[in-house]
Amino acid sequence: MQKKWVRGALFASAAAVLATAFHLGATPAARAAEPYKAPRTADGKTDLNGVWQAVNTANWDLQEHVARTGLVVALGAVGAEPGGLGVVEGGEIPYLPEAAAKKKANFENRLTDDPEIKCYLPGVPRATYMPYPFQIVQTSKDILIAYEYAGAMRTIEMTKTPANPADSWMGHSAGHWEGDTLVIDVTGQNDQTWFDRAGDFHSDALHVVERYTPMSPDALMYEATIEDPKVYSRPWKISMPLYRRLEKNAQITEFRCVAFVEELLYGKFRKQAGK
Amino acid sequence: MKRQLVTSMGSLSIAIAAALLAPASAAEQGGAVPRLADGHPDLQGVWDYRTITPMQRPLELGTKAFFASDEEAAAWERTENLRQNRDAEDSEAGGETHQPGDAAFGPKGSVPQGWAGAGGGVAGRAAYNEFWWDRGNKIVGTKRTSLIVDPPDGRYPAMTPEGQKMADLIAAGRNDTNLGRPHADSYEDRPLAERCILGFNSGPPMTPGAYNNNVELFQAPGYVAIVNEMIHDTRIVPLDGRPHGHVPLWRGDSRGHWEGDTLVVDTINFKRETSFPNSGANLHLVEKFTRTDADTLMYEFTIDDPSVWTRPFTAVVPMRKSDQPIYEYACHEGNYAMASILAGARAAEKAAEAKPSK
Repeated sequence: MQKKWVRGALFASAAAVLATAFHLGATPAARAAEPYKAPRTADGKTDLNGVWQAVNTANWDLQEHVARTGLVVALGAVGAEPGGLGVVEGGEIPYLPEAAAKKKANFENRLTDDPEIKCYLPGVPRATYMPYPFQIVQTSKDILIAYEYAGAMRTIEMTKTPANPADSWMGHSAGHWEGDTLVIDVTGQNDQTWFDRAGDFHSDALHVVERYTPMSPDALMYEATIEDPKVYSRPWKISMPLYRRLEKNAQITEFRCVAFVEELLYGKFRKQAGK
Repeated sequence: MKRQLVTSMGSLSIAIAAALLAPASAAEQGGAVPRLADGHPDLQGVWDYRTITPMQRPLELGTKAFFASDEEAAAWERTENLRQNRDAEDSEAGGETHQPGDAAFGPKGSVPQGWAGAGGGVAGRAAYNEFWWDRGNKIVGTKRTSLIVDPPDGRYPAMTPEGQKMADLIAAGRNDTNLGRPHADSYEDRPLAERCILGFNSGPPMTPGAYNNNVELFQAPGYVAIVNEMIHDTRIVPLDGRPHGHVPLWRGDSRGHWEGDTLVVDTINFKRETSFPNSGANLHLVEKFTRTDADTLMYEFTIDDPSVWTRPFTAVVPMRKSDQPIYEYACHEGNYAMASILAGARAAEKAAEAKPSK
């Protein structure tokens, strides 16, 4: 009960902060009438080119969460998990009863079972809000999104949209424009990825619709609607701003984590000294 | 792209026949080079760089830089395809029959450099049969006998003493048959391609290999992105004149610019281990991409690593436009082979211990 009360209070204060922010932002009446107009590419599309990054704790836990002790004692404060207000609309992920039990088990086993621990490709939407930048390379045809984490990438097909012949880690992305917004329909993802380090998961029936909408020259609003009838009782949605990396020499660099997890995965097969 | 292999099996002979009928007129038929709004050539799309033409001119071809006629080229191509046919494997000679290029490449049963990570094997145990292989089966349209165009002999230049010492060490480890199996004390004994750290054919530089010889190019203002099928390797190359960084990277640090209609990508800051056999941290790589017609992208690369070779050398790999999509190659996620190789080596040691000594 105590925990629930704390959570409730946190949520209430968060709501208050949001309400205040909204109120202040909305004060000049003209604001709402003039939505931000993003710069255009040579072919007249919204220009999303750039290096972007989420600045939140969604990768720790999509839902509202308090800061907590980390799982590796030796890492102390470095390994502690920061708290966050959550990015799920309405606060809760609508798990079916059995799925809720699996999520709980995932959370308990997260030190060994989170695919991020093994440097596996992150899937969508997790790739977007991992603590690494990603780059949008927008051409007059397709759009490439390249992520720093694990060298993950995907091509957003803007012209031809046949489904992939088999499920994959990053799925199949078919994009189209709705006004200023890039809408991406993501299907064909396998059931091996998680949404966060807290064990939030999905099945191979996952269907994600992402929306990237410019808010200002240096921020995009990112929304993802998540549907999976095998795991959730209804579709649900996350949203967060993405920020442009403004460093003059901004670029995604190399995070080839395979080399960082080989000892973890294969160290047990190492030839022992003297044998 | 693997599926392409299955569907194209039947049409393979027809395709070869068609190529033989009119190889010289292919360029004229290719059509004009498309351009982007900014006036630069449009290099975008999926490019296929399979070919059976080897990196080095086979020793038995001597001073022959080009096949003299279509007939001679076709005959060599036919023989080479038969020689590399993995279904015709000689269980004694093993992988040796499958090596690209000259027949006398290495000691019997050895695995040539750069090939081991592509499912090569030791004698009698070559990994994968022909079904899983998707190497090139045609020689390059220029009828050149090697991808290396300079030095004029089509071979790697002489090595420096330091380079030779390192190459010998690497080769000794690879060709050591004392164990009766490859070295596998730990994952560190295995090649970068097997470890899913670098693709065996994705470079940089890109070199035709066993399968998935595909690359997709993207062009946005100020950038070109080079995305290889193996192993979803993506290089985003700035074209804005910014200087190179200083941090060593697995695929080096690339900067690009246009020289007329040619995209030039300059790469330094490699790690000690690179994708190109025997090259190292001092590698300076220059790649040139020129779209010569609607269907052809000429890819030229120059390797300059003064600590390894006594002079730079240059290779040209023609790439053909593909209308097929590239599917995800999730290498590390499915790398069950690594655990199996290491566990197998430990099991072999245990079995050897259990045997009574003679």
